[in-house]
Amino acid sequence: MTLTAFPPPPSGADHNDLRQEVRAFLAEELADFSPEKRAKSWNGFSRDFSRKLAQRGWVGMTFPEEYGGHARSALERYVVSEELLAAGAPVIAHWIADRQSGPLILAKGTEEQKRAIVPRIAAGELCFCIGMSEPDCGSDLAATRTVATEVEGGFRVNGTKVWTTYAHVADYMILFCRTGKSDDRHGGMSQLLVDLKATKNIQISPIIDMAGEHHFNQVIFDDTFLPSDALLGEKGEGWSQVMSELAFERSGPERFLSSFALIEELIRLLRQDATEAQQAEIGRLSAHLMVLRQMSRSVAGMLNVGKNPALQAAIVKDLGALFEQDIPRLARSLISRPAVPGGRDSYAAVLAYTELAVPSFSLRGGTREILRGIIARGLGLR
Amino acid sequence: MESMIHDMAERLFRDHVHHRLRADAAAGQCPETLWTRIEEAGLHMALVPEEAGGFGVPAAEALGLVRVAGAHGLPLPLAETLIANAVLAGAGLALPRGRLTIAEDAALRLERRGGALHASGHLAMVPFARWADRIVTIAALDGVNHVLSLPVKDLTVTPAQDLAGMPRDDVAVDLALTDADAAPAYRSMGGMRGLGALVRSLATAGALETILRMSVEYANDRVQFGRPIGKFQSIQQYLATMAGETAAARAAAEMAAGSYDTAAFALTVAAAKSRSGEAAQTVGALAHQIHGAIGYTEEHALHHFTKRIWSWQDEFGTELDWNRELGRAALSSPHDTFWHFITDSTAQGVLT
Ligand SMILES: Cc1cc2nc3c(=O)[nH]c(=O)nc-3n(C[C@H](O)[C@H](O)[C@H](O)COP(=O)(O)OP(=O)(O)OC[C@H]3O[C@@H](n4cnc5c(N)ncnc54)[C@H](O)[C@@H]3O)c2cc1C
Repeated sequence: MTLTAFPPPPSGADHNDLRQEVRAFLAEELADFSPEKRAKSWNGFSRDFSRKLAQRGWVGMTFPEEYGGHARSALERYVVSEELLAAGAPVIAHWIADRQSGPLILAKGTEEQKRAIVPRIAAGELCFCIGMSEPDCGSDLAATRTVATEVEGGFRVNGTKVWTTYAHVADYMILFCRTGKSDDRHGGMSQLLVDLKATKNIQISPIIDMAGEHHFNQVIFDDTFLPSDALLGEKGEGWSQVMSELAFERSGPERFLSSFALIEELIRLLRQDATEAQQAEIGRLSAHLMVLRQMSRSVAGMLNVGKNPALQAAIVKDLGALFEQDIPRLARSLISRPAVPGGRDSYAAVLAYTELAVPSFSLRGGTREILRGIIARGLGLR
Repeated sequence: MESMIHDMAERLFRDHVHHRLRADAAAGQCPETLWTRIEEAGLHMALVPEEAGGFGVPAAEALGLVRVAGAHGLPLPLAETLIANAVLAGAGLALPRGRLTIAEDAALRLERRGGALHASGHLAMVPFARWADRIVTIAALDGVNHVLSLPVKDLTVTPAQDLAGMPRDDVAVDLALTDADAAPAYRSMGGMRGLGALVRSLATAGALETILRMSVEYANDRVQFGRPIGKFQSIQQYLATMAGETAAARAAAEMAAGSYDTAAFALTVAAAKSRSGEAAQTVGALAHQIHGAIGYTEEHALHHFTKRIWSWQDEFGTELDWNRELGRAALSSPHDTFWHFITDSTAQGVLT
């Protein structure tokens, strides 16, 4: 059963010196950052923070040095990522670029694309967004309707993307769209690199989420012209390119640490005085967390040696979402204190924020049902 | 991980551990010939240093044999003998021949009577005691933990069994010990309880992989409504859930095996026993659901595996016991934040 085998992360993966450096940096940078702000987890946006982090060499860590990166291992990057998440640092301004767009451009991009973009990602200057979902295409990504028609000097794009996280501030979108006809359901798709700041005829409008926040958007392409060098990778290979991004997108510590601010609040309150039943629940939570971390680091180890552990990543994301989604319920079962949005009591405020965030955890990045379908296929059932 | 000793064990068990053998063992018959083969292969010595008869492989790899044995539902005390030999070797005691087993620590009273050591008391649910030559356990003498090697022929064994019909005997001890049978323990890490929890977690991981494989095969074979039930999405979702739980159980057990003999062991083994036990509950239930009525029969092999994993949940500390222990450690740790506790919990040798 290779699907259920997660080789232990290589020894020495703790990188304790690096970890302590990151902790010291965060203690200083986030000294006045409230628990409620930390509760935003990786949805917090601060270009300033991303730039400072990059100055320390902690963005684009795994990128080659010739493209402004630091040629560090996936496991070193992992240490930085999990420390950022555990502290609730505002990281989304560089997160997507660092996690998947940068590696994708490095793997599939032209030399010009790599030189023009990757060093700026590593400098913490570029925010990327992902243009996959559409009004009629969510889980069924192959139903994508947005079309890029080849015209002289480039493409003309028409269609609508939705749920595009941080499109309203992002510098680039990696757009998944149709560029040709194909009998294969997964054929005729491509990825295009859209310079959101320099391209005309793109309309970005906010979609407010149920917590009242604006992070995702609708993005309308209306006869939008993109130059031919916007093509990322091979024309018609969009599907397989997207699939190869998924192991990066799905296995990281952000797939189980999204509720971590609430866990810290909960434990802070229970530390003073806990019943045996409360102790046992915290023990169970710790066991789950230790094991998820082990599995996620195992995937980082596999990525580090160039494997594509897409199935293991789907398992991490499914188990991780169950874990992080369950934290508000667990908190309520251990402490009787109502959630108060924006409340002065930090536990109550963080509980309120997290409660409204968790429904999205098993939707974004592939729904629970879709992930389980992928796992089932890996088991040889479909 | 490619491992020659795992391959060797895999072949041996595949050839010799079958439904009939497991059923006979559950009916009380010790598979003696199979044990001889295990001894001939030297598997029971895998966890002792090479000079003492081991293979010279890392502890985690030697312990991996327990997962392989679990995957085959081996009805013999291989895991117990591995641990017992390692504990005896660590304490500088002689390694006896034959099958050995382990019993939870602190159950016995150890005292000096005249010049000699004397052990007395009761050991409950000792795995395979009646098939074993010796029981290895730990007891305190003047506050110092001692490893004891108790010859079963001099003890009173009252047979009892677990859900799977495997011997879990009650043992009355009232015995003068020679110097060859007792020595100060060389370490305090979790004692026999922690080591027992480790091997049960590993065996559970192996058994879960077998249960998952059997369930996938059954789902592909069994046809209802004109198609294999594995084509139904609800069955696929069950199997995907089982795969996730199985992977978590294995990662948990291997995490603990990887920190064997380090300061991190105390907490990783707690996490492993808790997480693998929880997985056992979920996977066992779903496997029976997928198998329908045939899986509920004595004739079908599934119950040999599900009964084992459910029994193992209760041995060497239940999930509740280990969760409490881990939770107490988390809530009383000197770390500034819970996160620091978590990262240190697996860091080898950093534990305070
Ligand atoms: C917070 C958040 C941020 C997001 N950010 C982005 C982003 O930046 N860029 C982007 O492109 N997208 C983004 N998304 C969209 C996300 O990828 C989609 O929500 C997801 O793919 C599901 O699509 P859908 O919402 O249309 O649901 P649907 O696909 O319509 O699914 C609805 C329900 O039906 C189930 N379902 C669908 N198909 C099947 C099937 N075959 N079998 C069983 N059940 C099925 C689903 O599991 C789900 O439970 C974001 C979503 C959220 C919530």
